[in-house]
Amino acid sequence: MMRKILFLMFVLSYSARPTVMQAQQNSTGDVIKALQSRVRRYPEDHAGYAGLGAAYLQKGRETGDAADFELAKGALEKSLDLLSNDPAAAFAMTQMAVVCMAEHRFDDAQVWAQKALALGSGDPSPWAIAGDALADIGDYVGAAEAYSKLESLFGSEDEKLAFSYQRDTRISFLRFVAGETQSAIDLMRSAIRKAIQMHMPVENIAWSQYQLGEELFQSGEMAAAEKAYLATLEEYPGYYRGLAGLAKVRAAQGNYKDAVDLFKKAIAAVPYPEYAATLGDIYQKIGDTQEAKKQYQLVEFIGYLSQINQQIHNRDLALFYADHDLKLNESLELARKELEVRHDIYTWDVLAWSSYKNSKFQEAADAISHALAQGTEDAQLFFHAGMIYEKAGDSEKAKRYLSQTLATNPHFSILYSEVAAERLAALTQRDDIVSQQEAAGAR
Amino acid sequence: MKNIGVVVLSLLLAPATYAQVPLKSATPAEQKIAWAEAAIKAHPDRSQPYNELAVGCVNRVRETADSSYYDQAETAIRKSLELTPDNLEGQKARVMILVGRGAFARALDLAKALNKKTPDDVLLYGFIADAAIELGEYADAETAVQWMLDLRPGNVPALLRGASLRRLYGDTGGAMLFFSQAYQQMPPTQVEDLAWTLTQMADLQLSVGHIDDSEGLLRSALQNFPGYYQARETLARVQTARQHYSEAVELLRQRNQSFPTTASRYALAEALERAGQTADANSAYKEFETSARRTINSADNANEELIFYYLARGHNAAEGLRIARIEIAKRHDVGTLDAYAWALYANARYDEAQKQIAKALAVGVRDAALLYHAGAIAESLKDGSAATRFLKASLELNPSSETAGAAREALEKLAPATAEARHTQ
Repeated sequence: MMRKILFLMFVLSYSARPTVMQAQQNSTGDVIKALQSRVRRYPEDHAGYAGLGAAYLQKGRETGDAADFELAKGALEKSLDLLSNDPAAAFAMTQMAVVCMAEHRFDDAQVWAQKALALGSGDPSPWAIAGDALADIGDYVGAAEAYSKLESLFGSEDEKLAFSYQRDTRISFLRFVAGETQSAIDLMRSAIRKAIQMHMPVENIAWSQYQLGEELFQSGEMAAAEKAYLATLEEYPGYYRGLAGLAKVRAAQGNYKDAVDLFKKAIAAVPYPEYAATLGDIYQKIGDTQEAKKQYQLVEFIGYLSQINQQIHNRDLALFYADHDLKLNESLELARKELEVRHDIYTWDVLAWSSYKNSKFQEAADAISHALAQGTEDAQLFFHAGMIYEKAGDSEKAKRYLSQTLATNPHFSILYSEVAAERLAALTQRDDIVSQQEAAGAR
Repeated sequence: MKNIGVVVLSLLLAPATYAQVPLKSATPAEQKIAWAEAAIKAHPDRSQPYNELAVGCVNRVRETADSSYYDQAETAIRKSLELTPDNLEGQKARVMILVGRGAFARALDLAKALNKKTPDDVLLYGFIADAAIELGEYADAETAVQWMLDLRPGNVPALLRGASLRRLYGDTGGAMLFFSQAYQQMPPTQVEDLAWTLTQMADLQLSVGHIDDSEGLLRSALQNFPGYYQARETLARVQTARQHYSEAVELLRQRNQSFPTTASRYALAEALERAGQTADANSAYKEFETSARRTINSADNANEELIFYYLARGHNAAEGLRIARIEIAKRHDVGTLDAYAWALYANARYDEAQKQIAKALAVGVRDAALLYHAGAIAESLKDGSAATRFLKASLELNPSSETAGAAREALEKLAPATAEARHTQ
């Protein structure tokens, strides 16, 4: 789930802007209608088109529908046709960068963010997107540098607080990647306090609480994660992210019935392939193979629904196939293709896992070493590392990573949590027998 | 002024931490041009890519000093305005070209007319400020910059223009602060913008005698944008301030290898003369004079350099004054007022010279050469006290300026005379 963090955060960066904040108080649909009417009446209004683009992006965030990003792009292009050589055009350019991020065109996102910065509008927001693009391609040092510039030199106290919020949420992710999980959690808590202090729109506060839940879940703090997800849903009832988060907790608690209900509700709101995959896993776990199959089919259906979906969900699909021993060649192909676009730890991880499933253990070992290089405390990474090193014949490393998996989060996966425990026990037992035999031989 | 050292130091450190995006081989302007050309291919019926191309070409002039890019920019704008008559971005690009070509009055008129139609466009105020500064309309420029800052607090184009105005008003510390704030906001990809800003800061530091700081900034500028001609020109002045004349010659020779301007030819001639390379200097002066005379009556000229040339090396004070009058009829910025005053002085018209130099000083600018000129003019009018004050101020401001030697000499001559005058009284 952590792999999704950046995708969620970059959209948020613009929902924190005062204009969009006000807009969100009405429904996004109403805002879109109002802006459509405005640009019809004033076809030379660059700001109207830029606002319309931002509103489509917000809708995309709410619905997960990639078509909204295309609409956003069209409106933003129109805005930039009307005005591009002025600091006022920085907003539309930054939104364009956000569209590119949503479509996983990270280099283009970087270019648009840099173009926006080159206009020198006095608004440091483009640094957020520049940082997100760098983080998503695995340049964490560059991302940290970009985030450090998310500081308003000239704005009001409220604006300064808004940028401080943006910085905290993003640096929280970087800290998590760096293995500083507690610090990441502390920063996210601080961000939530700021979001509440600023009276941010409920969806934004809920998003922050959900992120906190994710970090807590990752670190195995199930009770605290549950609390955060419940707070998410209290803030914004029916919020699909909160529903999915709570569903994971319920599954970890063995309450599969509630987990299924919650996931169904989340998927009804936004059908993310990841949700369908996990729901399928739960069905599999409780023996409902028919329903599991349906969900797995849904994962592929969503993944291949459109060109943009294929672009966005490449890595998700690669992991899904590898996790479920399906289309393993395609999994590896997808993972390798994704690595051409980005080199972040989670892309390395998926390549490692796909390679492992394709019995390419040396490639898997190379890839997982990249995934672990930042020191990230992530049970899934540790699990993959444990399994890979076992096959690579390094029993000590395998045991160490499998132990770390269970110590970090024993409920990290519906499918593989038990496998981790079993493999660790088996390896320990095997090594004990070997030790005993060696001791006996020595005697 | 107290904080300048800290500011400068932090900027010198900046490039190392700015290395987040690898520099592509194309410069920012080249990239902009390439993007625009691709967009024109994709959408030949849209005006905006042509506007982008024009802006890219204007930016390329600043990157290279190759003014032929203005022709390309003009062609692009004609096409843009054909496709969408009077489109704002196309008109704005026209203003940029006019400013670049030195047609400041026309640029100001067009920018003001566009500003009336679109009063919330930040850059239009910037263009008004650019043209007004060049024409010496400082109050108008200040109003325009204030509008920019009010519309978008902290925007970079406003800070850069604000810094120029603060420098003209004698607020060196304030100018450095604005430059620094602008610099901090620039993305690492905008290497020429970064280098340009550092060069401006270096020039400012040099003007107050901070030679080491100036050099540090220029080295940083050249790191950002290797071979940058503006940085090389200023670095040559740093070497001159250090009396390293051969190094200055070498830098200017390098600078003039591509797209030398008339002004840079003059700088090289002066450097050669200082370095004792008389034959080369003579030939360089000749080359400069021939080139500069061709543009005396055009907007984009080197009249200021030509005036000083005739007043000193060219031994033709009358011609210097004639050219100064051509310029002062068009503009009354500090530089032109100073050149005019100096030309009047050289023609022994001391009262008139005093009036013109007073106008320049009234702006508030703190410049060692200007103060020296004021001192010399006052001395000619037998105002020993004012002369001493100006000459001392010149030396205090920048003891290593190009006029420092002459100022010291004049001051030494004045000292006994002033004492004698006091004694007589």
